[in-house]
Amino acid sequence: MTAAAIEMRSINKIFGPVKALDEADLVVESGTIHGLVGQNGAGKSTIIKILAGIYRRTSGDVSVFGKRLEQITPAAIEAEGVHFIHQDRLLVPTATVAEAIFLRNEPRFGPFINYRQMNRRASELLHRYFELDLNPRTLISELSTAQQKIVQITRALAHDAKILVLDEPTAALVSKEVESLFSVLRRLKADGLAIVFISHYMSEILEICDVVTVLRNGTDVGVVDPSEVGIQKIVEMMTNRDTSEMYPRRNVEIGAPVMSVKNLTVDGAFENVTFDIHAGEILGLTGLLGSGDKEVLNALFGQIKPDAGEIILHGKKQKFGSPVDAVNGGVAKIPEDRRAHGVATGLSVGENMSLASLGQVSTKGFVDRKKESQVIDGLIRDLGIKTPDRHTLVKNLSGGNQQKVVVGKWLSCNSEIYLLDEPTVAVDVGAKVEIYNLMNRLAAEGKGQVFVSSDLEEVTEMCDRVLVIYRGKIIAEYKRGEIDADRLLAAASGTVAETERKRA
Amino acid sequence: MTNQTDTAVRESRFSLEAASNYAVIVAFVAVVIFFTFAAPGFMTGENIFNLISNKVVLLAIVALGMTIVIGAGGIDLSVGVSIDLSSMIFIMMIAAGYMGAFAVMGGLGAAFCVGLLNAFLINKLKINPFLATLGVLFIGKSIQQLSTQGGVPIYLTRAEYAAPFDAIARTSLLGIPTPMIILVICIIGVYLALHRSVFGRYVAALGAQADVARYSGIRVPMHMSIVFISCAVLSGITGILLSSTVRSYVPLAGDAFLLDAIGATFIGTAISAERRPSVLGTLIGVALLAVMRNGLLLIGWNFFWQQVGIGVLVFLVLGLSFGLRKRGE
Amino acid sequence: MTAVEHAPAAANRGWFNSKIFAKLAIRLGAFAAFAGILIYFALTARGFTSSYNLINVVEQSTILGFLAFAMTVVFIGTGTDVQKGGIDLSIAANAGLCAAVYAVMMREGYGNFVAIPAAVGTGMVIGFFNGLAVVTLKIMPLLGTLAVMNIAAGLELTLTENTVVPVQSDLMNVLAFGRFLGVSTLAWCLIIGSALLIWAIHFSRIGLRLYAVGGHIEAARAAGIRTGAYIYGAYIFSGFMAGVASILIVSRLSSSTPGTGLMLLPILAAALLGTVFSRRFIPTIGGTLLAALFIGFLANGFQLLGISSYWVSGVQGALILLVVTVTSFAKKH
Repeated sequence: MTAAAIEMRSINKIFGPVKALDEADLVVESGTIHGLVGQNGAGKSTIIKILAGIYRRTSGDVSVFGKRLEQITPAAIEAEGVHFIHQDRLLVPTATVAEAIFLRNEPRFGPFINYRQMNRRASELLHRYFELDLNPRTLISELSTAQQKIVQITRALAHDAKILVLDEPTAALVSKEVESLFSVLRRLKADGLAIVFISHYMSEILEICDVVTVLRNGTDVGVVDPSEVGIQKIVEMMTNRDTSEMYPRRNVEIGAPVMSVKNLTVDGAFENVTFDIHAGEILGLTGLLGSGDKEVLNALFGQIKPDAGEIILHGKKQKFGSPVDAVNGGVAKIPEDRRAHGVATGLSVGENMSLASLGQVSTKGFVDRKKESQVIDGLIRDLGIKTPDRHTLVKNLSGGNQQKVVVGKWLSCNSEIYLLDEPTVAVDVGAKVEIYNLMNRLAAEGKGQVFVSSDLEEVTEMCDRVLVIYRGKIIAEYKRGEIDADRLLAAASGTVAETERKRA
Repeated sequence: MTNQTDTAVRESRFSLEAASNYAVIVAFVAVVIFFTFAAPGFMTGENIFNLISNKVVLLAIVALGMTIVIGAGGIDLSVGVSIDLSSMIFIMMIAAGYMGAFAVMGGLGAAFCVGLLNAFLINKLKINPFLATLGVLFIGKSIQQLSTQGGVPIYLTRAEYAAPFDAIARTSLLGIPTPMIILVICIIGVYLALHRSVFGRYVAALGAQADVARYSGIRVPMHMSIVFISCAVLSGITGILLSSTVRSYVPLAGDAFLLDAIGATFIGTAISAERRPSVLGTLIGVALLAVMRNGLLLIGWNFFWQQVGIGVLVFLVLGLSFGLRKRGE
Repeated sequence: MTAVEHAPAAANRGWFNSKIFAKLAIRLGAFAAFAGILIYFALTARGFTSSYNLINVVEQSTILGFLAFAMTVVFIGTGTDVQKGGIDLSIAANAGLCAAVYAVMMREGYGNFVAIPAAVGTGMVIGFFNGLAVVTLKIMPLLGTLAVMNIAAGLELTLTENTVVPVQSDLMNVLAFGRFLGVSTLAWCLIIGSALLIWAIHFSRIGLRLYAVGGHIEAARAAGIRTGAYIYGAYIFSGFMAGVASILIVSRLSSSTPGTGLMLLPILAAALLGTVFSRRFIPTIGGTLLAALFIGFLANGFQLLGISSYWVSGVQGALILLVVTVTSFAKKH
């Protein structure tokens, strides 16, 4: 038997008092796609960073193709043929595709870079592996997310990768792109590469991985074949609990409409969108990327000005010129990019939570700090935010707790309508459940919620009503009980529109 | 995972990181003690008094303005222009026979306009503050050269002009000179605005993450305007105090304040764990720079060596406070 | 979502084209504005097109150009976000210090073989301190280089005591008055310096990697580039250029003169203005060269037209604002 591509045995990693990895093993064979799953904090990124030479292990053995590696540095591990496709698209935005692919491996002509050869070889590689005809002179910043991911993988292949480690490679991809990525991975597997595939998406793990190592609390709790044991079992291994708790139930009386949207139109984005949001209701809004669902949220929050139609709040017509007006009208938004738009990570929990409601805890422009701390401490307790105190900086909180801070910010200013834009993106299973609980809580308090998500399962499970938007128009509405993922998918991809057109 | 590692690393570095918060204060105390022994004339009431009324007041007011701007995540390279134009209009109006109060208003008005121009460039044209105020710095230089035939100072040393200048620079209340009272008012005002008011919270949010402020329904352009106009007007006050003290307008004299004001503000950020600008920190920064300059002079270093000394000190303080902290992250 | 698709391809393409078109228009606009102003001066300013005048402008631009190249290299290696990225505020003061070192050593009778390496070495040491501040001590570049600028300016003053230090040497006569193939030595310096830098920055591995470091430091690090070394290198190179430029400054003025530090603003203007001449709106050597010449011709044309030189800095300021507004517009649309 030949040596495994990667053999990490009894890896320990201690950060101060915290044992991040506890006798963890990871063995990956050539010619396989090996899944690595676990909740945030389970040790996935630590073990990968040890392999990448970013962290130094406390103890344990690492071998690559049977060769024991004592001190790992990023350059040394690359020399062994191990390449990492990081979750962030680590590419230089102002470089061209060819420059990015051949960075640190540039073909030369004497003292000059041979740009002609570089561009030609880049084209060849992109065509050979991805059947992609991309001008190698295109700038990285002009590429789509998927194309950037492809360029990253191509760079690894151009450097003769024998082992590929992909950290959440599909996070920003649309399904077609995921498909083409998977077909490339399968071909690379057939070529004998070893591939480590890290993902939060269990369906992808099931689809592509031959073997899965499950990590929990820094230890590998199992190495299984996903097609044999199934997703549920894997998730249970990860969380050590039953998945039926995933979507907590609520029992909320749906009240009167709090906001009405009539014939709202933003040219080029969506048209004639009409719906009501009721107190205590979670209204799902879903569609394909670019269908206009996000733009509807933006218009409701005053970020884009509607060209026609009206927004009616408490029976009064509103003109939202900017988020300022929307916030004053009682509309809150939980933005998709939490770290960029939701919380100021350099400010404390308290400063973040009172940011939108300072008017209520101040007199004559001065902050009443006693009143403020009462409100904030109350919310921290209420929402169960795990933080030492309100003075802790938000950047020291986990993703789920940061999201709670965002919600707390709006609760403190008594917002009535909550616009949630992909609130569960890039958080682990445990944090997702907490966010669902939070949504139920908001519903119980009689708040109206508009929930935009591209995860059809959570839309199906969480919403009282779902509107499907296709090319800027609402083409279907489903009530609780009628909602199922297949139906939503069919509608979102325009199947309903086709049948209706036939009828007409 | 990252959370665990963060806390772990943070704790192991705890003592060093905490120590870095005191780097500036330790440096300040050390410098004061050193000069008390090394320069006999340093720790005397007269010297300290002169130091504050001549050096500290003018720089501190500009630095307070800079503190607001840097707190909001910006920078203002045009404080010199605000100082100079305020000083220029003030002196020109006095020379033209206007009443002192009108001349002061004229000067502050000129500074206000500089702030307004900055706000326009930043809010409407979306130019980043560094470049916007850099552009204004260039333009301000031209304006002054054009108005003074290339930089000829205006001296109003004749007795007939003395009254308004004396009223500002040579009066006192309960034995405290008027400029010092103005400084105290500015300190209290900026302290309340930055550390006690809603405005201050918005400034902190703008400084930490402007997009979050926008998403929280804060009127970002309006607050940015207030920030830059406040800084310009505070600089304008310095311009008027400066002119009143020397009874003249020297073109481009305000440029000398720019680097010290930025330096003092950033030195001051070292006292807070989050490295945020604060009124107290800035005042310590101003005091540190002033004490260094004065002490070095007293121990016989000429102006040129003072500049080297201060540069080295600032370098060391920044190195200690940034170097120790960032290692821990 | 399990099934999502791209926004309609046609719409996507149209948007893409209009974006490229806007960028192209702005870039051509920058060239056209440059050409237009030259033509305007040629038609209205007497003597503007005389070869003597043109060469004179090129010579004047050599020093600004060298220093602006230094700033450009720092921008390339640390990113163009002047507030959060890198900048070298000490370049001009450093050149002044190097000039003082050179002039004082010549006065003390050391000769060019000692004085020139000493001047250039001084520049590189100052550059090293910038690197130390930014890379090792992790001080914000704006602050770190500001402190270094103060130190350099102070050292210059202590060396010269704020006076003019006159210098005479054969080499300086060659630099200041020599000609080769009808082109003056200073102009040759600019031509050769630009050519070497264009090779190093745009056609060598080092240049490409430097762009990677400045464009996205994590990406560069992940690609195995030793980013810290590159940033150190950019600052030390900047110091080296300050040293070289200082020799030219002393040759041109036959002395070391206080006030070199005032060149900082035109240097920044040239380096920033240069970005509009590039396809990607990034700093390039060619762009900076054009911008330095542009600033030189502008001042020269004003002079010939009898417009007060007091307008020059205002026009430079307005130009910076215009350029930045236009490029940020282009990047967005």
